[in-house]
Amino acid sequence: MSYYDIDSILTDAQKLPCTFELDVPGLGILEGNPGENIKAGTRIDLPLWLGEMLSIGARLGTSRLVTLDIPSALSERVMNALKADPRTVDLRSLAPNYYRLSERVLELFEEEEMVDILSNTFKKRAAEIADHAHNPKGALGDGVEFLRGLDETERQLFRVAHDSAKGTRIWAGEAKKR
Amino acid sequence: MYGELGNKLVQHAKRTQSLAHLPPYQTELVRTVAREVRDLDRDVAHLLAPFEGVFNPSQEPAVACALLVDHLCIRRNKRCLLAYHRVRTEKLEELSWKGVDVLEQPVLPATGGGVGAEDGGPSGVQSSQAGNESSLSPEEGEYFRQYCDMLATYKGQWTDIDLTGSLEPPKDLFIDVRVLRDAGEIQTEYGVINLTKNSQLYVRHGDVERLIAQGFLERLS
Repeated sequence: MSYYDIDSILTDAQKLPCTFELDVPGLGILEGNPGENIKAGTRIDLPLWLGEMLSIGARLGTSRLVTLDIPSALSERVMNALKADPRTVDLRSLAPNYYRLSERVLELFEEEEMVDILSNTFKKRAAEIADHAHNPKGALGDGVEFLRGLDETERQLFRVAHDSAKGTRIWAGEAKKR
Repeated sequence: MYGELGNKLVQHAKRTQSLAHLPPYQTELVRTVAREVRDLDRDVAHLLAPFEGVFNPSQEPAVACALLVDHLCIRRNKRCLLAYHRVRTEKLEELSWKGVDVLEQPVLPATGGGVGAEDGGPSGVQSSQAGNESSLSPEEGEYFRQYCDMLATYKGQWTDIDLTGSLEPPKDLFIDVRVLRDAGEIQTEYGVINLTKNSQLYVRHGDVERLIAQGFLERLS
């Protein structure tokens, strides 16, 4: 989570539904109409880097500026799907940096059950990923659908697992270099 | 929406990380993001002008909110710009250790088109840079030159070890190479070899290792 980390910058760009609590002049550009005012009660999807700071800044002051909501990627519906079978959900289409996003969102919300569901999801999917990485079935195997739905963290995991399996085979002399 | 162009820049950086070469510098995009920061700064000055130096956020929560948004956008753009340039400089340092001379290599036309076709968005930016010979910005070129000089000075301390040499033990002392570009005459232990384009030679590996890395020669297996 360093300042220069590309993945964490991209995570910060993901949108969060926010509701404005007061009228702000000249902020209509956030809604797509520059020059207009924003009215109290307007719901806009703001990137994490903006929404987070606006809601925190409000906590220090007297009144809130915005209230945050759980993004659709972590909605009740998705949680139920993950509870049923973590392996069938396409995380990538929900959010390219799914776990990093959940991490950030869970810092802002108190959701014990969601933590359990997500860590369980990661464990189950990690086992599946390792399986695919060690036994590649090619681009037309039955795991393609699953592998396409991996989020960025899982892709890195897949790559590491794949490379280490290959490295071991080379070391043992079973495979040739390159 | 503010910050979106910065995001585009970071996506470029993300792609750069997984590429072997350095894609063209996004001059246009960087300039636009910098301009956005200047616009935001002007906006802040404009918002603060009526208060004449005395501003109490708790009395004017709406203005304070607008200021906060502007400030956050500026900070975000700064982070995007810094991260983009850092990814590129790291890449340059890596190439410098590998002995690839970025300044000598022409930009492959296919690369620019490929990147543009992938996301469709900045294709206008890509085409405006097609005439550019180098994929580096002038500052990056200078950085690369100076980094290479520094690396050469550092390596100069140990004349008997080549720090950037290959870690693979050679299988044969002599190898077959083909000359891809004219490199003139080089001096070896066994005399002078003349490297003219398209000629094929049987030479000692140690003598030509650098030239292979620089792309003058191609190794034939």
